[in-house]
Amino acid sequence: MATHDSLSGPDPSIRDRLRFARQSVSERMPTPGEGIVGYMFLLPAFLLFGVFLAFPILYTFYLSFFRFEGVGDGTLLWIDTEFFSYQLTNIADLQFVGLQNYTSMFSDALFHQAMFNTTFILVVQVPLMVGLALLFAVALDASFVKLRGVFRTVLALPISANLVAYSTVFLLMMQDAGLVNYVLTSLGLPAIPWLTSSFWSRMTIVGAVTWRWTGYNMIILLAGLQNVPKQLYEAAEIDGANRIEKFRYVTIPQLRPVLLFVFVTSTIGTFKLFSEPVIINGGGAPLDSTITIVQYIYQTAFIDFRLGYASALTYVLIAIVSVLSAIQLNVGGEDSA
Amino acid sequence: MREETRREAVWQFLTYGFILLGAVVTLVPLYWIFVASTLKESEFLSSTDPTLIPGGNFFNNFQSLQARDNVQFVGHVGEMTQYVDLGPFYFAYDFWNLWDMGAIESSIFVAGVYTILSLLLCSMAGFAFAKYEFRFKQPIFYAILATLILPIQLLVIPLFLLMSQIGLTNSYWAIILPWLANPLGIFLMRQNMRSIPDALLESARMDGATEFQLYYKIALPTMKSSLAALSIILFLFQWNLFLFPLVILDQGKYTIPVAINQLVGAQRVYYDQIMVAATLSIIPIFVLFLFLQKQFVSGILAGSVKE
Repeated sequence: MATHDSLSGPDPSIRDRLRFARQSVSERMPTPGEGIVGYMFLLPAFLLFGVFLAFPILYTFYLSFFRFEGVGDGTLLWIDTEFFSYQLTNIADLQFVGLQNYTSMFSDALFHQAMFNTTFILVVQVPLMVGLALLFAVALDASFVKLRGVFRTVLALPISANLVAYSTVFLLMMQDAGLVNYVLTSLGLPAIPWLTSSFWSRMTIVGAVTWRWTGYNMIILLAGLQNVPKQLYEAAEIDGANRIEKFRYVTIPQLRPVLLFVFVTSTIGTFKLFSEPVIINGGGAPLDSTITIVQYIYQTAFIDFRLGYASALTYVLIAIVSVLSAIQLNVGGEDSA
Repeated sequence: MREETRREAVWQFLTYGFILLGAVVTLVPLYWIFVASTLKESEFLSSTDPTLIPGGNFFNNFQSLQARDNVQFVGHVGEMTQYVDLGPFYFAYDFWNLWDMGAIESSIFVAGVYTILSLLLCSMAGFAFAKYEFRFKQPIFYAILATLILPIQLLVIPLFLLMSQIGLTNSYWAIILPWLANPLGIFLMRQNMRSIPDALLESARMDGATEFQLYYKIALPTMKSSLAALSIILFLFQWNLFLFPLVILDQGKYTIPVAINQLVGAQRVYYDQIMVAATLSIIPIFVLFLFLQKQFVSGILAGSVKE
């Protein structure tokens, strides 16, 4: 193919190799001593995983039932020999408060505001971005479009922008007297208070995130489009389907698993939003209308030093994300079965 | 028939218009970062007459960025220490101090070290899961897999406490170690390494290869393309990390995101300096992206596998 380029999806042979591998593994008899070798290979990753991932997950849960009183200084273990001395202190001084951290969320207005903002951004941004990514993917998959490779590269370029750097640029472009309002006013449209009105400041975040991630999702969707069998389109054509009907009845259903994946990862991404609101809106301005949930956790933990309450908030967020992921796995799995 | 071709032409026109609009909207902010970094602050902030033509002020802006005392963006020549001894260890130490690292070097250094170490760890773990049978293999694997769904950046609070207890605050290890055993990396390596034929490993064993030689002489070379894709994922993950470095690093050790945040949050914000910083932070990845497009794309797709 003359127009073949790097954006047209993974090497199909990888898939075949994987399929072969899945059949051939696990019927092999283990050789003696093999287990120890396996553990040796696993050991470094397992240790780091345990210390820096499994332990923090469990410790966050534990912390969420306590009030943080300060960094710990009580000695738990003290080894002092001639060659070697080691002192292990407890991690933090804590006061048990039971479920209070969880119950006080119900009356925390700022938490409600953060949840509302995050949900608002989510509801507007995710459909907008996935829709745009899908349209671009379909347009750049059409055979009549020249220079497809170049356009794909251009649309994917924002991937290279550092999250904090691009946020700064949006902060500048969206000023009352910034580039975007200049374009609007020179087109005869009214200027928009992008950073000073609570509605438009959320829309600024939506726009920034959409700019950064549309190309990324487009690549995933383009790869998905390569796997749609061409015969389906031919069959639809014979049945007299037009372009929009083909899109509606062939492309969308065939892309369903990929679309779902994109939807759910984007949703999780929105729940993690931190650098954009911090930079663009300087920590939730105007009037906390852009404060996101992760930003609120950060403030609670590292500015107010209420680590116990912040841990409870983290767990609520983890629960939300887990439920969303479970939905993804269920819906996606049911489709591929 | 004529009606048909006309509709086709309109359709193609609309498609091109949509693509071009998208390309322009995508490129303008990127281009504008570059242009603004070459202009005086008053020139690109002017609301009456914004320009999209590069000026000649880049080096002035760069110098004023470098002259700031709360952020060191690009490093500079450091002070030589006194030679005590010409042994290799001292030489390495002195060489290290020849250059005072700024945020750019810190970010490249941290992301590079993280990528290499994580590739090593993830491929070893993946090799173990793919090619060895041992007790509790399935439970361990699924425990690692389960953490895939949760955003590991959220573990800031316990990690902060942990790091302050083991004395790693304000150390680059604090932002490298926690995500070294990357669940996605382990999962990807395990999936791909299952395709290495057992017969190949077996015949190498017959020839007297040690188990570790099987890993680095057979498994690693055959996994080159997966490793390249994974390294892009890992590098970008570390490169964009903001929250945890913000919490754990002190001034003088900042990575790019934290350094730019420092510029934005200052009393008097110098936008010309910020634009230079943004340009410098985007260029390395930009160049990488243009040269290693294939790896970027396969990295993104590898990150999106689910099974």
